[in-house]
Amino acid sequence: MVMRWKTVSAIFFLVVVYLIIGATVFKALEQPEESSQKLAILAQKLEFLAMHACVNSSELEDLVKQVVSAVRAGVNPSGNASNQTSLWDISSSFFFAGTVITTIGFGNISPHTKGGRIFCIIYALLGIPLFGFLLAGVGDQLGTIFGKGIAKVEKMIVKWKVSQTKIRVISTLIFILFGCLIFVALPVVIFKQIEGWSTLESIYFVVITLTTIGFGDFVAGGSENPEFLNYYKPVVLFWILVGLAYFAAVLSMIGDWFRVISKKTKEEVGEFRAHAAEWTANVSAEFKETRRRLSVDIYDKFQRAASIKRKLSSELGMNTALNQELTPGKRAMSTSLCEDREAYSNLTLSLSPISGGLARNGSLYLNGLSPDYADRREIAIIENLK
Amino acid sequence: MHSAGRSWLLLTGFVLFYVIYLLFGALVFSSVERPVEDKLRRDVEALKHEFLNQSCVNAAALERFLLKVLAANKYGVSVLRNASAASNWDLASSMFFANTLVTTVGYGHTTPLSDTGKAFSILYALIGVPFTMLVLTACVQRIMHPLVLAPVGLLQRRGMQPRLATVLHFVLLLALIVLCFFVTPAAVFSTLEPSWSFLDGIYFCFISLCTIGLGDFVPGNQPRQKYRQLYQVSVMVYLFVGLMMMFLLLRTIHKMADLHGLTSFLQLPRCEESDLDDDRKPIVEDGHEAQTPPFITEKEASEPLEPGSQPSYNTINTG
Repeated sequence: MVMRWKTVSAIFFLVVVYLIIGATVFKALEQPEESSQKLAILAQKLEFLAMHACVNSSELEDLVKQVVSAVRAGVNPSGNASNQTSLWDISSSFFFAGTVITTIGFGNISPHTKGGRIFCIIYALLGIPLFGFLLAGVGDQLGTIFGKGIAKVEKMIVKWKVSQTKIRVISTLIFILFGCLIFVALPVVIFKQIEGWSTLESIYFVVITLTTIGFGDFVAGGSENPEFLNYYKPVVLFWILVGLAYFAAVLSMIGDWFRVISKKTKEEVGEFRAHAAEWTANVSAEFKETRRRLSVDIYDKFQRAASIKRKLSSELGMNTALNQELTPGKRAMSTSLCEDREAYSNLTLSLSPISGGLARNGSLYLNGLSPDYADRREIAIIENLK
Repeated sequence: MHSAGRSWLLLTGFVLFYVIYLLFGALVFSSVERPVEDKLRRDVEALKHEFLNQSCVNAAALERFLLKVLAANKYGVSVLRNASAASNWDLASSMFFANTLVTTVGYGHTTPLSDTGKAFSILYALIGVPFTMLVLTACVQRIMHPLVLAPVGLLQRRGMQPRLATVLHFVLLLALIVLCFFVTPAAVFSTLEPSWSFLDGIYFCFISLCTIGLGDFVPGNQPRQKYRQLYQVSVMVYLFVGLMMMFLLLRTIHKMADLHGLTSFLQLPRCEESDLDDDRKPIVEDGHEAQTPPFITEKEASEPLEPGSQPSYNTINTG
């Protein structure tokens, strides 16, 4: 459980970072432009007011406010009323319904009545899943058609004896290129021609529409072009449908790449962690082994020292003269280790003639006897007795 | 042969139904909105005449001026005196904009003005949109268990039929989500925004959470809005969580459809569990997993590339 939440929070953190990066870049790019626009329009307003002295500022503001809200409602107040096409004639409403169902939602037209809005909600609730099914079906058919084409191409490439992986990569690239040609490049050219946008603006419109973002600053068929309008908008809608299927495939591919990358990174991190854990385990095992050996050694020596002590004490037990300092009663009372040790140290002193021979090995110190060193000396004696 | 023919039949059926649905919507919108539009147009005409009558301005000068004002307004630059001094591109607003871009809501109340901004938007969207969808799917996968699978399992253990349990749970979940993500925020918005009614709030919530994003209502855009940055950030969080809930609902519906046999009947892809269950596997694999070539999964290497393998953009990672 813990691992999964970590992954999700990591990705979430990445998204937040991505948003912050985007925000900073947009701010840096757009704010200067916005400021210059603001200054320009303010200058226009002042110029207008100066030129037409009978208009006062508040009247103008009123007018502008009303005009702006009218435009938001889709009514264009420039020109006269006669040659205006409605924004809610059948073909435009058809287009609007299409933008709602595909969740693009340009917003250049939007319902303003209460009834229109309520109907919009209900309409979207039913229409979006419906469109989802349709998109699934179209995507499938697109995939089959494309798959057949790719199979033919692959048969040709196999003759060149290229590896399977390379074939897959090549077919992906072909898919992307071909799709871009049909669903992006061709519409860009058409929009440039009909709408009069620049190349960048057309590409911008295509991408923003096919990812269903749909800002609405550029809308195909938004300009007044009465000759084309009747069959232009449904064709645009059809292009949106098929283009959406294509874009869905591309975006899901990009998503798959992300997932594969994250999985591979996780694997690599996992392998690295496994190696590190192995190394740590080995090192600590070695430490333990060394400690164990050392402790076994010391334990052995202690055991031997204790057994030899017992032997010596039993041999010298008859010679009570050595133990005069300690009266039997005192001896019996003294059960603490240090008192016994003192007894043993006297013993070792008494062994000095024997130890004289041992002293040859230089492992005995006859001076500065103290209970602290008693054990060590015992060990040294025993070692040399071997 | 039979299934291929059937799939074509189904597809034609869907297309036909889709076209009819669109026509129906067009008729209704047209009949509801057009009268209001006509009235508004007449009003604006009258306004213009009135203005022109009592002033020294001639029609042409006014036209020019209005065109310029409207062009500026399209990009969110207002000429009105009491318009907010706050920029549309300060950090919080830019982040809001970036968020509407990657969640594909796309209000359009502010749009990039410069050419570089447009080009950057294209790149940003192409990378950010699948990324966001991945995050949302991952989150939904995780919360699926406590919010859906566990309660349904509980109901089933109490002795309910599986189908009934899923339906009951779905209804409860739907009611809960509608209450928390539509009704409550709508109430909050209608209080905070001076010109919004409760219906406007619900309309806004719905249009945003379905990622339609018409842009006629955008919170935090009133002049002299207090705590604008905080407001926009909280709206962003609300949108993100709400979107996650929508995906959860979609996935629940998909699973229900699987259970009730609808997906196989309509020949739609089944709800896949396996997407991100890799996390449950042990960290170190046996080593056979590492053999897959980069960017190509085993599945794709064995059959022709199917661009339509993901059904729709909206259900892209839910099934």
